[in-house]
Amino acid sequence: MLKQGCAITALVVGCAPALQAEELNALIWCDHADPAFLAPFEEAHDVRVNVKEYEGTAAGLTLLEQSRPGDWDVMVIDAVDVGRAVERGFLAPLPEGVAPLDDYFDEVRLTDHVTVEGTTYAAVEKFGYNTIAFNKAAVSAEDMTSLKALWSGKYDGRIAIYDYYLPVLGIAGLAEGVATADLDAGSLESLRAPLMGLKAASKQVSDVVASQTALATGEVDILVGGGEWLTAVLHEENPDLDWIIPEEGGLLWAQSLAIVEGSEKPELAAEFIKYVLSPEGQAGLATSSCYWGMPANKAAGDVLSDAQKAVLRWDDQADYLARAQLYPVPDAETDAAMQDLWTEMLQN
Amino acid sequence: MSIERREKWQGAALVAPALLWTLVFFAVPFAGMALMSLAHLDGREIVQGFDLGNYLKIFTEPALRRGISVSLEITALVTVLSVLLAWPLAWIIATVVPARWRRLVLLLAVLPFWTSYVVRSYSWALVLGEKGVVMNALVGIGLLAEPVQIMATRAATVIGFVHFFVMLLTLTIYSNLVQLSPNYARAAQDLGASRWQVIWHVILPLTLPGVMTGAFLTFVLCIGDYITPQILGGNNELSLPQLIMLQLGRRGDYPMASALSVVLMAIVTLAYVASARWLKMERM
Amino acid sequence: MRALSWAYLIAMLGFILLPVAMLVIFSFQDGRLPVPPLKGVTLEWYGKVLSDRALMEALVNSLLVAFVSALTALVLGFLAASGLARVVLPGSAWMRGALIAPMTVSYLIVALGLLQMFGQVGIRPSLLATGIGHVVINLPLCFAITYAAIGEHQRSALKAARDLGAREFQVLWFVAAPMLAPALAAAFFLAFTFSWDEFIIAFLLTRFDVTLPVEIWSMLRSGLSPATNAVGSLVFLVSLVILVALELTLFRKGAK
Repeated sequence: MLKQGCAITALVVGCAPALQAEELNALIWCDHADPAFLAPFEEAHDVRVNVKEYEGTAAGLTLLEQSRPGDWDVMVIDAVDVGRAVERGFLAPLPEGVAPLDDYFDEVRLTDHVTVEGTTYAAVEKFGYNTIAFNKAAVSAEDMTSLKALWSGKYDGRIAIYDYYLPVLGIAGLAEGVATADLDAGSLESLRAPLMGLKAASKQVSDVVASQTALATGEVDILVGGGEWLTAVLHEENPDLDWIIPEEGGLLWAQSLAIVEGSEKPELAAEFIKYVLSPEGQAGLATSSCYWGMPANKAAGDVLSDAQKAVLRWDDQADYLARAQLYPVPDAETDAAMQDLWTEMLQN
Repeated sequence: MSIERREKWQGAALVAPALLWTLVFFAVPFAGMALMSLAHLDGREIVQGFDLGNYLKIFTEPALRRGISVSLEITALVTVLSVLLAWPLAWIIATVVPARWRRLVLLLAVLPFWTSYVVRSYSWALVLGEKGVVMNALVGIGLLAEPVQIMATRAATVIGFVHFFVMLLTLTIYSNLVQLSPNYARAAQDLGASRWQVIWHVILPLTLPGVMTGAFLTFVLCIGDYITPQILGGNNELSLPQLIMLQLGRRGDYPMASALSVVLMAIVTLAYVASARWLKMERM
Repeated sequence: MRALSWAYLIAMLGFILLPVAMLVIFSFQDGRLPVPPLKGVTLEWYGKVLSDRALMEALVNSLLVAFVSALTALVLGFLAASGLARVVLPGSAWMRGALIAPMTVSYLIVALGLLQMFGQVGIRPSLLATGIGHVVINLPLCFAITYAAIGEHQRSALKAARDLGAREFQVLWFVAAPMLAPALAAAFFLAFTFSWDEFIIAFLLTRFDVTLPVEIWSMLRSGLSPATNAVGSLVFLVSLVILVALELTLFRKGAK
């Protein structure tokens, strides 16, 4: 038992060095885990940013529910889900002036979504599109201008589906002429057949890496739900990887950053958000090692290289933004129905 | 009498810490989970209660019910294949390979144990892909006209599993084989049995306890594994652990995750009861 | 029969070693994708891995958790085994069953149960929580191995020591432990290995102080890269070195 006591002491002491520097605990998506992106902030403020990745808003909110006040300082959250988090009291109001909103792309301020009853809780940091990514050496770009091609039979067995229910259900909706904002339990039923058809035509339903692997190695030629976030990192390896917003439209994703309610370091958290939204932080985030995406702050354009901007398709954004729709924002009941449908599709 | 009594107290005192640990960190959490499985998710809130709704859902909703059969099918296939492949391997190492090479060959046969488990599944994903070495080789030597899809199918999951459990079973069966006295085989041969007869009627039955223990372990580890089907199966079907993780990761539905876990536990218990007479868990 | 045996042996070794060989080969890939064709050889990915702060911390965390949890499981298992081997207690068989039980349960269930319980009593997910979970799964193993190693011969030696007036802890420390050393070492290293490589408990019970398998998993999820191969190869190399060292020292006597 003595040994055990020593051992446990050793375990506790072993963890102690981590406590020396000041820490900021962040609940994030994988693009924020890139050391190159975090380093400038850590050095400037002599602080260590601890990151924990989570998958899907529901999981993130569950994590917060199980945590104690002060466990988390900042969190990355889907801009369309900010309301959900605020409703449950997880987010603290964002101090004035943290987000350089004047420099933003107009369409991604998303004031309606990050503001609840006049109080702003989050700031959009990065955005992009969930549409169709494909290998133009194997697929006719002409075909990809319409979502109908996915169901035409021509590409059966060469399609992968990105494993996240919201964007893919959104795309299936677009193909059926249902706008994402109108997606509810009723219209969901009309998507069942197309979704199962898509599954039948596809080879796999996969996460980021499996999708990348499959696309890069030519196992599949089309990724439903893909976009620049997937092809940009592979650009050097395979310039034939391309993506397009078809005539039916595409989905706009936007991630935002917020201070978690109960944080003991609100100033530091605000500083972190300021850094992420600064031109340098935005450029780093846009080209982070996990996935690329457009920075919300246009000023990042001065920091990014021309080659990086070309990969991000900086100059086409106005057109893209005009044609893309936001993620569906389901209520609890619709969300459950969507997940049931998704599980059924996976299991089919 | 009093000495015996003191002995008993001392014996009990020695067992107590381990029992207490198992009680507090195993039995109590499990009971808590069973209780949680009777709660349900209302909208996004967990409502405690005594509600068999989750279990009803598991057995009526096709997507969930199929998780049970997917898990059972994969696990049964993996267990049988692994035993069939591992037994001859263990036997060859124990008898055909010269004694001085035996340890080296055994070491080679379990070498991949020492890489990381997560990475092992991932490396199969690289090997089994359409551009992977297996397809390249099969097409190259003309066995296949064009690559077939293995990756992202049940076959890939099974191959990944079998790879791991062949190693595990080879080890358990080998240690069982080398403990057997050569006298049995010799006696049978003296009585005129052929080599195959000796293997079939003498050696095989003697290794049965080892085989059953290994097979049971394979069953338990396989049916509870999340990583292998998640990496190799391509999400084309979902096993029980994948469904459990889906409830946790995407929905925050702890009651349903708990109910699925209780079902998983029940399956393992049934398997244990069915094979208990051959098992010697304490003597592994 | 002989030729067939050798053919089978070689085929099986090929099957067993193939993925590891590919893993190692493509860790040197000069390109972003660890799949054929091999474009050239570079050590870039190893450099990247070794300078990755998160990975190196995860490595230390893993070693720490594995060491402490294996040791705890060993001590608890050893004490329980000596207790049960010493006297017949009422309900002995039941106690043995209870101690072995966690071995027959999926790790995922252990993890989920602990996650919920810790959540309710307010223990944060941490390395300590993970370590506790690892002791739960390794205790049966340590107990079973030690218990199996106590035979008639060991029992009488322990009894003799007690009859000669040795105190209980003296008996355990000076007689039982040395006598059971090979079994204890085997149990410790098995427990160490299991903890070192365990994923699901560590995944559910840690926050950002993660263990190596969890860190590798998030690497895997965040992008395809030969760096993952490099980590796998390094883990493999380190384990092999330890294994060979053990083989040459500790287990030499045991080998024929």
